[in-house]
Amino acid sequence: MINAGVNKELKMSSGIEKHSGKNRINFSPYLYIGPHLILFAIFFLFPTLYGIYISFTNWDLIGDPEFVGFANYKEILFNQDSTFYDQLRTGLGNTFKFVLFTVPACIIVPLLLAAGLNTKPKGMKFFQALFYMPTLFSVSAVMIIFSMLYSVSFGPLNHYLNVETNWLATQPYAWITLVTVTVWWTIGANMIIYQAALNGISKDLYEAASMDGANSIQRFFRITLPSIRAQILYTVVITTIAQFNVYGQPLMLTKGGPTSSTTVLLMYIQENAFGSGISIAGIGAALAVILGLCIMVVSAIQFFFLRQRD
Amino acid sequence: MRKISVLMFSILFVVMMALSGCSSTSSGSGGSSSANEIVYWNPFTGPDGKNMEQIVNEYNKTNPKFKVKNVSIKADDMYKKIPTVVNSGKGIPDLTIVHAERIKQFVDNDLLTKYDDKLADHPEIKAENYVPAGWNIGDLNGSRYSVPLDVHSFVMYYNKDLLEKYAPHALDDNVITFDEIKAAGELAKKDKIIGIGITWTRPIFLSIYNQLGGDITSDGETPTLNTPEAKKALELLKGLVDDKITNKDGEDPGQLFKSGKAIFFPEGIWMQNSVNEAKNLKWGLTSFPQISPDKIVNWTSSHQFVMFKDKNRSEEKTKGIMDFLDYVRENSLPWAKAGQNPAALATLENPEYQNLPQSFLVKNPEMQNTLKIFDYKYNGFVAEEVDKLVGDAIYGKLNIDKGLKSAQKAVEDKIATNNKK
Repeated sequence: MINAGVNKELKMSSGIEKHSGKNRINFSPYLYIGPHLILFAIFFLFPTLYGIYISFTNWDLIGDPEFVGFANYKEILFNQDSTFYDQLRTGLGNTFKFVLFTVPACIIVPLLLAAGLNTKPKGMKFFQALFYMPTLFSVSAVMIIFSMLYSVSFGPLNHYLNVETNWLATQPYAWITLVTVTVWWTIGANMIIYQAALNGISKDLYEAASMDGANSIQRFFRITLPSIRAQILYTVVITTIAQFNVYGQPLMLTKGGPTSSTTVLLMYIQENAFGSGISIAGIGAALAVILGLCIMVVSAIQFFFLRQRD
Repeated sequence: MRKISVLMFSILFVVMMALSGCSSTSSGSGGSSSANEIVYWNPFTGPDGKNMEQIVNEYNKTNPKFKVKNVSIKADDMYKKIPTVVNSGKGIPDLTIVHAERIKQFVDNDLLTKYDDKLADHPEIKAENYVPAGWNIGDLNGSRYSVPLDVHSFVMYYNKDLLEKYAPHALDDNVITFDEIKAAGELAKKDKIIGIGITWTRPIFLSIYNQLGGDITSDGETPTLNTPEAKKALELLKGLVDDKITNKDGEDPGQLFKSGKAIFFPEGIWMQNSVNEAKNLKWGLTSFPQISPDKIVNWTSSHQFVMFKDKNRSEEKTKGIMDFLDYVRENSLPWAKAGQNPAALATLENPEYQNLPQSFLVKNPEMQNTLKIFDYKYNGFVAEEVDKLVGDAIYGKLNIDKGLKSAQKAVEDKIATNNKK
């Protein structure tokens, strides 16, 4: 249907061009991307550009933004006495830690689950639904459930382990908690991608390999992994970007503690721009731009490897 | 082609309409009011919202010329929305409830309408008719910018049975001291009952800090957090934690108190409904614990009526607003029933109010003087840092000196950045 429409339109528009001069712009492509383009501009492009502009100003959200050049960046990046310098280091450090802790687990666990489901065990549909379910819950619902689960005095976890561990406010437990919650919450999306990829691998390869005497581990590393390499690299990039934007889990579970050891950069951005005090939107925006640049650099490196392998 | 482009255009049109529709409805919900309506924003989204609605409904039943439209918005969202609507000039609420600590900031940005000349027609809206702590907040640079609705304090609940058992004479002078809590806590230890719960650390710390003579600012501009008094306050709390008089880190003090495993439970007067959930608990309400009975401090905040500047607000409508404020002054009982202390003294004479547990805080001028509002232009910055500091410091996860130093520095840096020209 759609193809037919495009062809027709191409013919038609070339017909129009013949009739009405050379410099006529062809609007039809814009019509197709128009709705998305408008939404993209309103909800993405404009806010992004405005955010970058705000990072060069001093603004409390009430008066007019006042242009201060690179002052915010200088304060954050080079003024070692500044609180904001510490905020960037602590916040970005914790964000990187979070990415390092969660991304491998967010790749490996769903991959193993998908590989398990791919053997078509009994009750496969049930488990598939079960593993995918957490992804559908909102962050606040998940965090409320887990804060109850990990509660010191009446949490089932401490009850059954018969310990009094303070999971949310002492290290290293705070990190362990955050990572497990995040992995549990995000398994589904990646797992579905891997399942689809695994389904696409030809059975002949496995048969040939077993005839040559390859055991199941060898088959996994020599056949399965190389065949779904593209999907793995894709999920690595997407998961990394998603985890860089971590906010809800530490905010609701550990509140950034103990002693700011799980305060991620987005929490500082929120505190500065929309905290309980007067807004320091300029600093907040500058921190956000720096975070954005970090995500871009990391993604670029990942894409670079992706291209090279291909 | 034609059909397709017509289709596309119509989709575009619908999208545009939807988008513009969204924006106009969202501002419409608060703003573009009919001429005879007072749009009244407040942050009462909790159970107390019902009580405010009741006041508004009863006022509207009196058939005033300008009816009040009650719009409750979550506090965080409301404070984010205010700069936007005031800047755009569209959809500005006629009357708004804000927290006392925010007013200085709004006045500095020249966002508020003064009440001064409007009070002439309403002589009863005056200092003598309100609790001083609530009334004084709205007086800035010789002008009046707000009228108080309530004064809500952070006090202490106690378990009557446990008090009888472990500290029978502690309340004889109507004040519980930290020494008494400590003694009771030591006695109760063998029964696995804690002396006092560490609840909301900010008002706990600030109350003690103020009892010791400290305040969050020395002159209204400079923050004062890194002081010997602050260190002493934190050490006092840490001492209670180290002596195991308090709940352990991470334990829910509310749960302990409700299940009869804690003698004292410092909390806000607004928490009565939650405490009442425990059916078998006999509880009482008294002042926040003190270091000495000579200087009693109860951390307090206040909800205040303000009018954000709006060119389009008619003089008549402003009069209507004043009528509503005068009505609230005399009819605050539903608000008291939500667990609050109305700032208007008119309610004080009502016997029904006098029976409410929290009324002890305003029943005489001496008690009214114990209410301390930590009013400071940069209160929000202090709050953020105190929240990070106290819990970690008293549970031994953060060195007190280091914590105070970095909290002081952080507030100073935020102020400096904010004032950079």
